Amino acid sequence: MSIINYAAKVINFKVVYYGPGLAGKTANLQYIHRCLPETSKGKMVSLATGDDRTLFFDFLPVSALGVRGFTTRFQLYTVPGQTHYNMTRKLVLRGVDGVVFVADSQWARLRENVESLRNLDENLKEYGLALAAMPYVVQYNKRDLGPVAPLDYLEYLLNRGARRVPSFEAVAVDGTGVFDTLNTVSRMILVKEFGQAQEAHS
Amino acid sequence: MKAHDVVIHEADATRIDAVLQRFLGDSSSAAALLIDRSGQPLAETGTARTLDIGSIGALAAAAFSSTAALAQLLGESEFSVLFHEGVRESMHVSTVDEQTILLAIFDERTTIGMVRLFAREASRAIGVILEETRKRPKRVGALAAPLTADEARRASDHRPA
Ligand SMILES: Nc1nc2c(ncn2[C@@H]2O[C@H](COP(=O)(O)OP(=O)(O)O)[C@@H](O)[C@H]2O)c(=O)[nH]1
Ligand SMILES: [Mg+2]
Repeated sequence: MSIINYAAKVINFKVVYYGPGLAGKTANLQYIHRCLPETSKGKMVSLATGDDRTLFFDFLPVSALGVRGFTTRFQLYTVPGQTHYNMTRKLVLRGVDGVVFVADSQWARLRENVESLRNLDENLKEYGLALAAMPYVVQYNKRDLGPVAPLDYLEYLLNRGARRVPSFEAVAVDGTGVFDTLNTVSRMILVKEFGQAQEAHS
Repeated sequence: MKAHDVVIHEADATRIDAVLQRFLGDSSSAAALLIDRSGQPLAETGTARTLDIGSIGALAAAAFSSTAALAQLLGESEFSVLFHEGVRESMHVSTVDEQTILLAIFDERTTIGMVRLFAREASRAIGVILEETRKRPKRVGALAAPLTADEARRASDHRPA
């Protein structure tokens, strides 16, 4: 649910990083926060437990260049992945414009990925939203660890059929795939909001 | 629970600002922030020192929505006010409408009773304005035409320094 403010010349979008606990959602935001220049980011807020597990959410506002004199601000959020925090996950999804599903590539974690994706579907439904109809990308994280499932298999499990979307391999802790993921979902959000002009082909 | 788009045109912003200004005067609060329940700030007034509006919006909306969820667990329809008392400054958050909350920051120059009273009045006035903004066209003027591929690319090109 974007917010356009013609007086402040600001357009706000909300992006939620979803996925099972420990998949690397927080690591994505931390890398983005670490690497963006000061002028393109706000403060990162993390509501975490003592042992660094996300308790409520992480929050980081970022912006690239604006559009036609408007600042376009993407408010990045993560959810807590642990199953029993569903109430909080639902609250964070409120007003979401785009979703990044961060999957954990390790064999041992495949079932959690599938369950988390199903949970995302259910929670979106409560807001009258559906993944198939919104800007959405999948990130296969922790590619540096072993043993990880092959890409084909992950795609088969998590990204097929009518809602096949862009997907990325990632190692969130060293930044591999992190900006590709963010930029792609950002672009999908912009195009959904504003439409994209047909380019003349020569 | 379907979310609605929010658009604030310049004339609406001016009207909202006038209500917030009046609220500050009447209640002697230091600052007022209008926040969408998804966490995004819609308007602010009176922030003499520079506050981190983005973080405040995200955290206030989260605090408010978790108290609302708590209320449901306890069988209340909603706790409509959230109040935090600090050493020097206090914070009062109240419902404007289904989608919006009003946050006031105040100190010992006023009382929670005054803030609550005038927040209720301001919320009603802002609610009426927001109701109208939801009926307005979302993309006008500079934003009416679709983006070119280049515009979309530049606005989504986040880059490490
Ligand atoms: N080796 C490796 N570790 C990662 C990667 N991404 C995240 N981690 C680590 O995995 C743990 C959980 O990551 P975190 O971002 O907190 O997961 P979240 O629960 O999804 O937010 C942390 O110790 C991270 O440092 C990755 O791509 N490779
Ligand atoms: Mg986390």
